[in-house]
Amino acid sequence: MSLSNPDSMNNVISKVLRYGVLLSAAVIVLGTALLAARDAFSQSASLLHYDPNQIPHGPFPVTFSSLAAGLATGSPAAIIELGVLLLLATPVSRVLFSIFLFAAEHNRTYVYITATVLTLLLFSMLVTPYIPVFGG
Amino acid sequence: MLVLELMVVIFLASIVAGVIGSLVGLGGGVVVIPMLTIGLGVNIHYAIGASIVSVIATSSGAAATYVKDKMTNLRVGMFLELATTTGAIIGALIAAYVSSIALELVFGVILLASLIPLVRKIGEDIPVTPELVGLSKKLKLTGSYVETDGSTVNYNATHPAEGLAGMVVAGLISGLLGIGSGTFKVLSMDLAMKLPMKVSTTTSNFMIGVTAAASAGIYFVRGDVDPIIVAPVALGILIGASFGAKALPRAKNPTVRKIFAIVLAIAGAEMVLRALGI
Repeated sequence: MSLSNPDSMNNVISKVLRYGVLLSAAVIVLGTALLAARDAFSQSASLLHYDPNQIPHGPFPVTFSSLAAGLATGSPAAIIELGVLLLLATPVSRVLFSIFLFAAEHNRTYVYITATVLTLLLFSMLVTPYIPVFGG
Repeated sequence: MLVLELMVVIFLASIVAGVIGSLVGLGGGVVVIPMLTIGLGVNIHYAIGASIVSVIATSSGAAATYVKDKMTNLRVGMFLELATTTGAIIGALIAAYVSSIALELVFGVILLASLIPLVRKIGEDIPVTPELVGLSKKLKLTGSYVETDGSTVNYNATHPAEGLAGMVVAGLISGLLGIGSGTFKVLSMDLAMKLPMKVSTTTSNFMIGVTAAASAGIYFVRGDVDPIIVAPVALGILIGASFGAKALPRAKNPTVRKIFAIVLAIAGAEMVLRALGI
């Protein structure tokens, strides 16, 4: 299969999306099963507690280091968050692969447009949350 | 309520949200948010965090099918994403300085007002193809798809500048409110750019995932993405969206527009009511 052919590139994108989604769903299912095994019959109220004065607002990991620590101990919440991050990565990978698709079509204008979208997307996702003026 | 009950209720409602969202090009927040806040008493910030994840799940869950069917117009979507990602960044920049209540009121009223032009063309199947001129011609904002009866539908996009303006708004409210960006995308493509309805909803389906991902970082870092809520939302939506994506090619353009109009009316009313504190 030649990746310089737009049709086969389209198939590649379809597969990347399908497997990306299945992988993230599998991770979330695993985390949910572990969570249910531990907490299924406890009251949900404490797990839904929202504290507006604290970041994070609830009792679960939001930084890469706390996420890694949670994963190391097999924390269900951390496993679910990992699955959510994989899900977040699917639109990003779709934009990335679209650059190759447009390149295969020799459509230079859209290679530039898509590369700009990817840059804006990554900036918005990864950088703005940590800049104080952006409320980070 | 027990954790198990909570998760099962959220999971089942999310399947419904996924089917509706993938059909009409929205993220399912219109179902997910009131289900969580009004139905289950979850804090609005957790509900919005879950809504952002539901948008991405709807988009990705339907995407593999839509890419194969070639219903999505990737060029139109990518061109317009220039505006939505920019809007999302601006939204994040000004979020601290604007009132979310006023915003919800304004956007809710805009959504309800846009029902008027939408209802006027409610029965339209394939738009009259305008000549491809100016920026639309330069950027090849044109395409075709195959209907279930085997006929090929060719279409051209008009008014790309108006489309871009609508998309800045869509990106802004995604960054500011975390909700409602799909409605503005479908409206811009259907009303301004005159694309066939199914092209508008599937292209919006692609775009909402990218816009929501652009806004997701902030919600994640703040701790608004609660795993106990988001897990059943994501799984339910993924299942629902894959059903919706399989049903869409068989649906007729006017049917899709009618469902969209109903969902739009509900979404607009929800925003206005929330802003008024009802």
